[in-house]
Amino acid sequence: MRSSLRHTPTLLRHARAVRPSCWAPMASAVQSPSLGAPALAPASARASSSSSVNPSEISHFNALAATWWDPHGSSRILHLMNPLRHDFISTCRASSPTVTSSTPTGQLRYLDVGCGGGIFAESAARLPSTASVTAIDPSPGVLAVARSHAARDPGLTAEKLEYISATIETLPPRERSKDFDVVTLFEVIEHVDHPAAFIDRCGEFVKPGGWLVMSTIARTWTSWFTTNLMAEDILGVVPKGTHDWRKYINEDELRAHFRGKGGWSSPRVLGVVYIPGLGWKEVKGSEKIGNYFFALQRDA
Amino acid sequence: MDSIIRRRTAAYVCRSCIQRTRNHIQQRAYSRAAQPDIYDVVCVGGGPAGLSLLTALRANPVTSHFRIALVEAQDLSKMQSWKLPPDRFSNRCSSLTPSSALFLDKIGAWDHLARDRVQPYHEMQVWDGVSDARIEFDWAPDAAPSADTTIAYMTENLNLTSGLLKRLAQLGGVSVFDSARVEKISLGEQTEAQDLREWPVVNLAGGRQLFARLLVGADGADSPVRSFAGIEARGWDYGRHGVVATLELQGEGWGGDQMKTAYQRFLPTGPVAMLPLPGNYSTLVWSTTPENASLLKRLPTKDFVALVNAAFRLRPTDLEFMHTQSKGQAEEYSWRMEHTPSHGKLIPQVVTGVQEGTIASFPLKMRHADTYIGERVALVGDAAHTIHPLAGQGLNQGQGDVQSLAKIIEYAVNHGQDIGARLSLEPYLAERYATNHVLMGVCDKLHKLYSVGSGPLVPLRSLGLNAVNVLGPLKKFVMSQAAGHGIKVF
Repeated sequence: MRSSLRHTPTLLRHARAVRPSCWAPMASAVQSPSLGAPALAPASARASSSSSVNPSEISHFNALAATWWDPHGSSRILHLMNPLRHDFISTCRASSPTVTSSTPTGQLRYLDVGCGGGIFAESAARLPSTASVTAIDPSPGVLAVARSHAARDPGLTAEKLEYISATIETLPPRERSKDFDVVTLFEVIEHVDHPAAFIDRCGEFVKPGGWLVMSTIARTWTSWFTTNLMAEDILGVVPKGTHDWRKYINEDELRAHFRGKGGWSSPRVLGVVYIPGLGWKEVKGSEKIGNYFFALQRDA
Repeated sequence: MDSIIRRRTAAYVCRSCIQRTRNHIQQRAYSRAAQPDIYDVVCVGGGPAGLSLLTALRANPVTSHFRIALVEAQDLSKMQSWKLPPDRFSNRCSSLTPSSALFLDKIGAWDHLARDRVQPYHEMQVWDGVSDARIEFDWAPDAAPSADTTIAYMTENLNLTSGLLKRLAQLGGVSVFDSARVEKISLGEQTEAQDLREWPVVNLAGGRQLFARLLVGADGADSPVRSFAGIEARGWDYGRHGVVATLELQGEGWGGDQMKTAYQRFLPTGPVAMLPLPGNYSTLVWSTTPENASLLKRLPTKDFVALVNAAFRLRPTDLEFMHTQSKGQAEEYSWRMEHTPSHGKLIPQVVTGVQEGTIASFPLKMRHADTYIGERVALVGDAAHTIHPLAGQGLNQGQGDVQSLAKIIEYAVNHGQDIGARLSLEPYLAERYATNHVLMGVCDKLHKLYSVGSGPLVPLRSLGLNAVNVLGPLKKFVMSQAAGHGIKVF
């Protein structure tokens, strides 16, 4: 607990700065006003009401549910980003000499935390190299969209793709016992209240040798300009209220957090930039500026 | 996806292809009745575009696990075993660019064509029938004929179709429904387990229903798939017919069998082209008015031959007169030739005969679909665009479509995308629409430019042709474009 606090000062300071000003009305719904500490306690010791998830975030994404799969709707940018997620995971796995897989056939088990309408979960489940995808999200409206969309593809069988209405804290024990080769947190950590604790908890589900993969946005003036002012307020390509810039997390904060924790190695990062008309492009060094992927391998 | 692929095969495979599919799809008995018969790709139309696409998908390890159906109105087993004696050639030929040939080679089909019937050519002679301005697409004198100097390969369409079918049979794994009639294309339904309301269902006569993750319309200019998707095709009719025939010439061409030349002369009624086939043979594509076309089809052989020779030699006014004669063109031609200066080797050798039954004609149109994609629908080849044949690009455009679509499907599979989703297909539209549009525009404008028989446009366009002919580097660039291995400007 202490070590984690000591090694992630910025991360926690950042989270602390957000809560009182922005989410104070929701405080009663979310336990742990003292940040970090309760979230880092063992899962068994936690009260059932405790959650990494902020209720106002849930209602925001519930409202967006209807347009989640509209190719020209508000999630278009996320759809366009999705192939890069797979490329990033492939690169991570290829970079490691310890090729792991939890199944005899060499296929992978995925846990997608904060799956939303299932953009990544569906695509991961379709890959021939995938054994199964467990996708969880606390927003019931969004999950209903995910389920009904998956029903449109008979290839997405129940054994390949399972949606569970849960947070990482309330994930059923059956799922906890699974060894996941890849645990993904795509565009999620900037929406939770206690990112350090949340990330650590998700990391517990990664099997030794497996990967924890996330994507988020760096907290810079550029990202405020592009994701808040331009994307939400001026261009309207992203629904208003999607991003809270103060919750953004920088890559060096993530690195420092995991360095302090131990048990994780081979951090990899990839900065990406959305160029209108061209789509998402990998831009070296842009992780310091805006959207980026970040991954670590759990020590075997 | 695995579970979709492994289904009972015997019931829905036509008699001619049971053997082909049996080895490739595992058998599995289903206890529940009325399971939708789901395919990854259902291709309507077994022409060069459709067959190339399926061959590309089957030949690629990333997509070779697909469950694929091919629906075709004609009997494909007859097409596959197509054969003609070495001195007979089909009248429907296409000029395949080296990039199309390279693609066919990549998917393993090129070797299955009867290669002794494929004729590469290395030079082009294009000239203005009114002003005689000329552009000679020839290479430097020291350039030996090789694959690098090949402008295009003249190929009988049936040779290509047959070769593709042979390659596809070798690859196997395609459920072929040939001699089939599509009664309608509808949409699936929602059940408790699945929601197929956005899935196209091809209903065949006899009651079989094919559910398509991706329905490919390779079904020609009057594409039923395009109508189903509610996609409009816009354009116009040129008021011209293309007259085709297989011609016998006095020799193998001025450059012998190793250095063949394609000839095209722009006449006010439309371009007339003579494209080399092996030996003493050439294929004719003459775009002309419907009246002229019907006269050409009626004429006795010797008069037809005379008119074709005249088309490459006499002045437009002489030709116009000869088209008003109901017979006797042969005599008229020999008389008029006495008063016409010799063109030497700038024009094709003299035509001596026409193969019986090869004179035919078809109306020329320009059509471009508003889009090539819909939800779970993609259009390729003539279903997406019909082009004026003056540049011989129709079939190559289709090959370009197929190459692009196959590549985009591979990308989608590698990234877990649903290959039928509009979002997955968008890059195909982006890649092909503008390219096709520019090429169609150029051919359309060329047709219109050269339809003018007199006036200020004639010297201007002639200036263009002559200028290109003189400017070496520009000409080389134009030729490389025609051959498909230049810099991509489109």
